[in-house]
Amino acid sequence: MVVTVVVNGTRVTETIPTRLSVTDFLRHRLGLTGTHVGCEQGVCGMCTVVLDGEAVKSCLMYAAQLDGHEVETVESLGDGDALSPLQQAFKSEHGLQCGFCTPAFLMTATALARGGEPLTREEIREELAGVLCRCTGYEFIVNAVERHLGARPGAADD
Amino acid sequence: MTDLDERAVTRPAMRIIGTDVPRKEDDRLLRGAGQFVDDVNRAHVVEMAVGRCPYPHARIRSIDVQAARELDGVYDILTGADIAERSEPIGILRPVPGAPVITHYALAQDTATYEGQPVVSVAARTRHIAEDAVELIAIDYEPLPHISDVDAALAPGATVIQPDALEDNLLVCNPQGRGDVEARLAEADVVVEGRFVVNRVTGLPMETRGVLAEWQPGARMLTARVSTQSPQLVRKQLAECLRLDEGHVRVVASDVGGGFGLKLGAYPEDVLAGLHAMTLRRPVKYVEDRLEHFRATTHARESVHVYRIGARADGRIVGMTDAYVNDLGGLNSPFGSSQLSTVVFNGPYKVEDGFVERRIAVTNKTPIGAYRGYGQPEVNFAYERLMDTLARRLDLDPVELRAMNMVQPEDFPWVNPVGAIYDSGDYEACLRMAADAVDYQARRAAGRGPAPDGRYRGVGFSSYVERTGYASSKFLAARGSLFGAHESVTIRANRSGGIDLYSGVSSIGQGSETVFAQMLSEVVGISYDAITLHHGDTGNSPLNTGAFASRTVIAAAGALLEAGDRFLAKTLRIAARKLEVDPAQLELVGTVVRMRADHGVSVSLAEVFTGAILGQGMPDGESPGLDETAYFEPPEAAYSFGTAAATVSVDAETGEFTIEKLVMVHDCGTPLNPKLVEGQVRGGLTQGLGQALGEELRYDPESGQLVNGTMLDYFVPTAADLPPIELGHTEVASPVTTFGVRGAGEVGCIPVAAAVANAICDALAEFGVELDRLPITPELVWRALEAGRAG
Ligand code: FES
Ligand code: FES
Repeated sequence: MVVTVVVNGTRVTETIPTRLSVTDFLRHRLGLTGTHVGCEQGVCGMCTVVLDGEAVKSCLMYAAQLDGHEVETVESLGDGDALSPLQQAFKSEHGLQCGFCTPAFLMTATALARGGEPLTREEIREELAGVLCRCTGYEFIVNAVERHLGARPGAADD
Repeated sequence: MTDLDERAVTRPAMRIIGTDVPRKEDDRLLRGAGQFVDDVNRAHVVEMAVGRCPYPHARIRSIDVQAARELDGVYDILTGADIAERSEPIGILRPVPGAPVITHYALAQDTATYEGQPVVSVAARTRHIAEDAVELIAIDYEPLPHISDVDAALAPGATVIQPDALEDNLLVCNPQGRGDVEARLAEADVVVEGRFVVNRVTGLPMETRGVLAEWQPGARMLTARVSTQSPQLVRKQLAECLRLDEGHVRVVASDVGGGFGLKLGAYPEDVLAGLHAMTLRRPVKYVEDRLEHFRATTHARESVHVYRIGARADGRIVGMTDAYVNDLGGLNSPFGSSQLSTVVFNGPYKVEDGFVERRIAVTNKTPIGAYRGYGQPEVNFAYERLMDTLARRLDLDPVELRAMNMVQPEDFPWVNPVGAIYDSGDYEACLRMAADAVDYQARRAAGRGPAPDGRYRGVGFSSYVERTGYASSKFLAARGSLFGAHESVTIRANRSGGIDLYSGVSSIGQGSETVFAQMLSEVVGISYDAITLHHGDTGNSPLNTGAFASRTVIAAAGALLEAGDRFLAKTLRIAARKLEVDPAQLELVGTVVRMRADHGVSVSLAEVFTGAILGQGMPDGESPGLDETAYFEPPEAAYSFGTAAATVSVDAETGEFTIEKLVMVHDCGTPLNPKLVEGQVRGGLTQGLGQALGEELRYDPESGQLVNGTMLDYFVPTAADLPPIELGHTEVASPVTTFGVRGAGEVGCIPVAAAVANAICDALAEFGVELDRLPITPELVWRALEAGRAG
């Protein structure tokens, strides 16, 4: 079947088999390998992307369901060589180690920032709980997201 | 050779070491531009799927691949018979002293000894087709009696799981010790004893294992991208297994999505992908899925420790013994079971007489391998639980009991009962700092019993030492290990005026690219930004060992210092010719070499390096080029140390508990990049908490099957599961390492479980609660309460 979808601001039309997941579509059809795979079960969150403004786990969706929708992946962040403020916050706060989970946290935080709601640190922790990280112990990731959402001192230095 | 005095003058004290420079790794990873194995693709790639034994123990009577071969898009199938003909067994890199070798090939031969063991392998146009083909392969299994715990494995008359290598299921028994410990215990005023059961867990990196193998016929060159912590060791193993000259194998590990010890050594799938690629002359990719990962990637930790401590009435310890059993699983993986429980069995306590005995049992479970801390969290849980039991028995304060028995600063170097040489430290300082951080005195003064909210509060401690790095290559040789204690670097000038730094260490999240560049910048004086790292590629790195055992920085620091010194001296000599001055008058700062006395007289590094590369800028008698390689092995291991403290509140009716605060005070010597150190410690702590509170791979005793081998069933802490965590540190430079560093990557894992368990036992002391197994669930606490009330 044929899907038409806006990915990172560009309209793409592709012919796909029905059993193709969104993750495989992004990674293998479009070469957007920043979206990772950790479980294909909807548990680890490595595959998180933003779909019509909401963070979703792309391994649980079929590419066919994208028709007429808009997807953003980690490759949409930043401008050329410049990191986006969110990416810069992760860098400044040491919010990543192996970096495998990082795109998923960035996209979760992107959706959170769109929400525009002020969040407490506890709420940020709850919101981030859908993505696992095995390296960092989360503290610095929470710091980075908090800083990006404006609640943490230091945001002005970025 | 550089003169040390000259170096001291040339180099200003610690400019960049000890600062939180931003990581070199981050920019690519933050853009999703990392190169994890599955992110790399090749034209005409073929995908591989592996058929695995569904039984814990089974004889393979026959394999019929006919239907699978006929499936459209299937290109190649391998069975055990092909493997025995075309490859060699997968070797052990860290053999257990005195143990017979259990041979295993990439595919099971007549018998499979664990659920998930590879039995057949298919290469096909897509992974879907390869998986369908695996389903079509008819394998006639004869299930054999299976064993899923060490007691059953070692019971007389148990089915022998590896009859070709062993007469029973005991792989080996290694006793070690000093003094007459039984006599000491007989004279002791009190002897406490406990049996501690440590759970089987998995490191669970977020990136599963993977390999992309490419074969170039004619050149007979195999290039394998592998998600590994030890590219050079995998290269050695692949060459051996595939009967290739080592020169014909290149292993590349670009970005690795977490390792934690699991990604050490070659796995069967690496060999299989290589064989398929050699047959098909097409690139072959295999990326393990998460369900396979739970069964086919090494597990860790599972062990039972029977520990005894004897002490005088005043609390002075007179002897300690530990008899423990490690569960090896169905065969000996390249790293197998750890000896580190033995090496640090007495923890930070000064004990002259001590004895430890390790036994390793074969069972029908996934093989055990390395995992962060590797043996040390296990034994820490045993001795630190028992220290609290001893304190209660003698009615002593557990903090004072620990302090009075700790090795003191004036005792170093101190040799423990199995010959480990503790290098330096102030163990008691960490303990006291941790006690202060949880307001220990105030809590003690407040007394026991339920708080106004009806909950019971307690505080628990756990002190540890950790061996970081290896004592030496000689030490490893005496144990038969097939790797060295050294690290190596090559540094090479480039025409832009920068340095290319080559290291065999792969980037697994530990930040070595950053820290290596920091050290080089420190040694040479060149700006951090002018250093470009090239890592994890056996095609360009000097021979090294790998990223494990918190050893890389310790060993690499010495290599960087040596190579950097030679490099700097030559750079100054070349610049001196150009500026027509004496080299001693010059210094390298940032991107230039300049006169110390007159900063206006300078030459750019780009010019100096270009002159060296062209060979046209060299002083007489100096060879062209500017390129240094150095190897270094530390003279001894450096022991990290510290104390964790936990405060908890417990509901004495239900056993439900909350960790109110977790504190860790540790010492890693000189922290090269404090933020990276904190990240490592926090990450380790979180894995330690996972092990303490919920992680456990459970096997059904009836079927022998792994019952929670999916991400849905295996607890991993999320951002919302962590208690408030506070870190502190002391800084005693190690005398045995360059820059005084100790390892920091694994310490977080070690003391957490014992600290939490001790806190709960403290809270519930009046109920006689003793916890002796992991993970600590509310149910376990509730059962201990019931047992305490009953008895
Ligand atoms: S890959 Fe794990 S949630 Fe999608
Ligand atoms: S940084 Fe490695 S999994 Fe998060």
